[in-house]
Amino acid sequence: MVEIRIHGRGGQGGVTLAKIIATSRFLQGQSVQAFGLYAAERSGAPLQAFCRYDDEAIANRNLIYAPDHVIVLDPTLIGPAVADGLEPGGWILINTDERPESFADRYPQNRVATVDATSIARDNKLGTRSVPIVNTALAGAVGSVLAIPLDEIQAALEHLGFGGGNETAAAEAFERVRCAELPGVTEAAHEKEDGAAASPFVATERGPSFLEGAGGGLPGIKTGQWATQQPKRQQYVPPCNHVCPAGNDVQGFLHALAGDDTDGALEILLRTTPFPSTCGRVCPAPCMDSCNRVELDGAVNVRQLERFAGDTGEAAIEPLASRGEQVAVVGSGPAGLSAAYQLARLGYGVTIYESGPEIGGLLRTGIPQFRLPEDVLDREIGRVLGLGVRVVTEHPIDRPTLLDLTRGVDAVLVATGLQELRGLRLGVGDSEAVEQGIDFLDRTHRNEVRVDGEDVVVVGGGNTAMDAARSALRLGAGSVKVVYRRTRNEMPAIREEIDEALEEGVPIDFLTQPIVLRPDRTRGGNGANGSGGTGGSRRRVYQLVCRRMELGEPDESGRRRPVEIEGADFELPCHRVILALGQSPDMSVFPEGTEVREGERLLGLLETPVFAVGDLATNDGTVAGAIGSGRRSAFQMHTALSGEHLTITEHAAARRDVDVWHDDVIRADAMRLHLFERLAVSEGDAVAPEVRRSTFDEIHTGLTDAAEAARCLSCGVCNECDLCVTYCPEGVLKRVGHELVFDYSFCKGCGVCVTECPRNVILMSHL
Amino acid sequence: MPAELVTGNHAAGYALSAAAEANRHARGATCGIYPITPQTEIVEYVARFPFSKTRVVPVESEHSAMGVSIGASLAGARAFTASSSNGIAYMVENIMVAGFYRLPIVMVAVNRTLGPPWNIWADQGDTLMLRDFPWIQFYCEDNQEVLDTTLLSFRLAEDRRILLPALVALDAFILSHTQMGTELPEQEEVDRYLPDLDLPHRLRHEAPTTLGGLVWPNVAMSQRLEIDEAMERVPEAFEECRYAFIEEMGRDPGNAIQTFFTDDAEEVLVVSGTIATTAREVVRRRRDDGENIGLIKIKMFRPFPEAAVREACRSAKKVAVLDRNYAAGVGGIFWQELRSVFQGDGDELLIQGYLTGLCGGDVTPSMIDEVVVDLRERDAMDKPVWLGIGNGKGAEG
Repeated sequence: MVEIRIHGRGGQGGVTLAKIIATSRFLQGQSVQAFGLYAAERSGAPLQAFCRYDDEAIANRNLIYAPDHVIVLDPTLIGPAVADGLEPGGWILINTDERPESFADRYPQNRVATVDATSIARDNKLGTRSVPIVNTALAGAVGSVLAIPLDEIQAALEHLGFGGGNETAAAEAFERVRCAELPGVTEAAHEKEDGAAASPFVATERGPSFLEGAGGGLPGIKTGQWATQQPKRQQYVPPCNHVCPAGNDVQGFLHALAGDDTDGALEILLRTTPFPSTCGRVCPAPCMDSCNRVELDGAVNVRQLERFAGDTGEAAIEPLASRGEQVAVVGSGPAGLSAAYQLARLGYGVTIYESGPEIGGLLRTGIPQFRLPEDVLDREIGRVLGLGVRVVTEHPIDRPTLLDLTRGVDAVLVATGLQELRGLRLGVGDSEAVEQGIDFLDRTHRNEVRVDGEDVVVVGGGNTAMDAARSALRLGAGSVKVVYRRTRNEMPAIREEIDEALEEGVPIDFLTQPIVLRPDRTRGGNGANGSGGTGGSRRRVYQLVCRRMELGEPDESGRRRPVEIEGADFELPCHRVILALGQSPDMSVFPEGTEVREGERLLGLLETPVFAVGDLATNDGTVAGAIGSGRRSAFQMHTALSGEHLTITEHAAARRDVDVWHDDVIRADAMRLHLFERLAVSEGDAVAPEVRRSTFDEIHTGLTDAAEAARCLSCGVCNECDLCVTYCPEGVLKRVGHELVFDYSFCKGCGVCVTECPRNVILMSHL
Repeated sequence: MPAELVTGNHAAGYALSAAAEANRHARGATCGIYPITPQTEIVEYVARFPFSKTRVVPVESEHSAMGVSIGASLAGARAFTASSSNGIAYMVENIMVAGFYRLPIVMVAVNRTLGPPWNIWADQGDTLMLRDFPWIQFYCEDNQEVLDTTLLSFRLAEDRRILLPALVALDAFILSHTQMGTELPEQEEVDRYLPDLDLPHRLRHEAPTTLGGLVWPNVAMSQRLEIDEAMERVPEAFEECRYAFIEEMGRDPGNAIQTFFTDDAEEVLVVSGTIATTAREVVRRRRDDGENIGLIKIKMFRPFPEAAVREACRSAKKVAVLDRNYAAGVGGIFWQELRSVFQGDGDELLIQGYLTGLCGGDVTPSMIDEVVVDLRERDAMDKPVWLGIGNGKGAEG
């Protein structure tokens, strides 16, 4: 009689393997038995199955305690118990990709055969990838090891209705099984050991009393040993964090806000930016464009929430250290102030040199008050100055003075921004009627401009164009029109600002290119636009000749290039033309031929490191971009001076205690959006267009609370929603402080926590 | 102690209530309960009792009634219930659980015929169905014995050496609804007789555990043996409880078996329940007439008092067992028990079974005389006699 014991896990088909072997012998006329040893078997639980066959009628109804051979379906079950009672010289057939020789030390009394039944089963698509059904492959291997012809194994499979991949798997395993005849192993006759003494199915002594309770009476089953896979904590980069030009930990501050911790939210923001109230008003918010919530019910209103945190939170900012080195920052726009802020926090002595009378750069002179009130800006600049940053105003720096400057300090950061304004040749037109938008806004800021009753045409599609047009409207212009040579889709201005300009009554002529500006001779140099008026030299009427355009092939910016349509010119009567066509850096401060790259020390300027910062280096054009550049450059300068490297991507430093950290961004399709409730966006209140078009008071009143923050999906970052803890059917998942703790002793790897996590922060890993 | 005229049910209800009340300084008491004729009076009595720390939980079935009592008992409360007939049949799964959980629950069972056909009268088949469960079983003869045995059952079941549930059976109507003078003990007496319950394996919220989960055969078998050992200790513990009762109440609650003129009797009648009263009177009359006859009333059925029965039959040559119950394919259940007692030790004893009073039939003195006559004429045991109606077997056959 041959007796075989099979060690497997629930779901692998161990009992069926016993049946296959028995069937192959039964079909040859032998007497057979196949049976399982049933206990608390569930998927993944270790279990045993048995098979007997003999030429004589089998007269034995006991379990098999001293098998002739053993089959191990799961390599995680390899251990001493496998050989319990096993006949010396008997085979141990193991499902593993290892060679049989590697088990020589473990089972010195036995012959070992190995076959990678798992791969064979997967190749033949038996079971699932996580739970491949390996029994039919092992049946083939058994045939090879025990000298059962393959056709008899396959006959059994066919008899049992296991066709297709099962027969192929058996045949492959029959060929691929590797056997090791180990030295010293003999098949000499021997007395069978009675392994029954160790079996829980045979009572040999008194067990624990029922009255002493479960502790004494029940076997402790560490169900975690059944697991073939385990959940791990993982973290991805949320798209908002990834795209934020300032490098803000957007998810982090939203999480703090959602927890009613406004001060904490501000503290997180102030790690990367001194300007949350500013960016909360003027940032184009690429975070909102990339927000995964767009796929559900609209982006989280991050801009307004940043403003809420900046306006209502309180957080003390203090230098993190104190250092002796002195640094000069040239330019007091957002890049210079951001660099100064970070350097001062690092402990450097910082002096800002500003050519104008006030600091703030374009934040002050280029953004109208109705978008960014001056008191807000002053408060945020005060945050920088509060760190001990010194300011020297009315102190322009040119090439010679820059060289002087380098001699007196340990490093210089140049953040002069985009000083070169792009012009437009409008032929013979009166130059007094044409003005750069940046200058117009600056003069508006200084109350030096009047446009009462004028018809104003603004040329351009960026924020400066929108700001100039809307300022002109507020200054009492008779009409304001924007002309733009492409379409709305190509406009670089913030979407909301375009909408607001349209609401306020600023029409935009798309696909329109001004060609020539000429005086309207029909109405005289001194005439008005026919409606009379207050008079004055400004009120001369012009005709702006424009040409209709159409979109052609994409240009180097990726936007479709506007192409002129011949013979489609028309005229716009106007008093004033404001150009807002973009700016470029003024490199004249540097020696000829200096190559400017952000984060790289500029060469040829004595011993002192000089860095170019912000738009000057990046040509990015956004406040957030300037803030990010200032911070990165400050850190790189710190590295140049101290050798110490600081984390550039702040959100990466915000990683939580996870097992697997991913550098890639999590997209909406990796989220489980169906688990989220749809919630309307909180827009915040705005003053009605008919009211605001006549005042420079701020348009938006902001959010009254941070409830909007609860809409943050916290993509790829655990926000302690604890759905996983709630749904863990075994109760083995706990929240300990901020940490998620799996009790792997009892976790069977069912994966409910993975599928219940809306934000994909739990990863299932195969063991 | 004043005697009052009460029914058997009333006596049982009083005993259950007083026992529950006696645990008021410990974890109180709970009774999951569901009414069924002829046990309903017990439910009514318990439901009206002015308990200070007992919950009477009306449920939707007998199964749940025992379920509630099991839960309460596991939580450390003194737990009890009462039922009858098909209600017991429906309760069976949880009756078994209570036993294997080693919970000292006391159940009063009014013996009523299992239906169909529908029948509400006395028959022991319902409780004897439970004979192989780990329950102590008592069969009572009169109201006083019902009351006393019920009180004693709590003390015995809760004994640390025992920790098994106990069942007190009384015949439907003949006992349950019959008014008889009964001494009702004062609450203080019951308080003194029944110490506070402290269940060693009760569940405690501060130390959560699983009781009765899956265990391997070797451990489970060991725990069966533990029950057997507890059963073996019952006779001794019962005697202690009985003497403590006598000391407290001044009254004997009745021995495990009660003998009548067995010392020198050659013919012995073995009976239980209310038939004992009638049979005892027949024996007294025949003794007066000089016949060498005696009687054994079996009160404790589980564990079966083998030694006492063997001792009581020392001089007997013929034994007649009167069964108000029927095990299909076998005969009377007490008859079976008697035969196994003497298996291999008294094989020469003639033990004849008589089925009488089944399904509520009245057992009159003349019927018992008939048994005596039949027994006297026998020289060998035969199949059980269906008294009165004949069956082609036994005396006529």
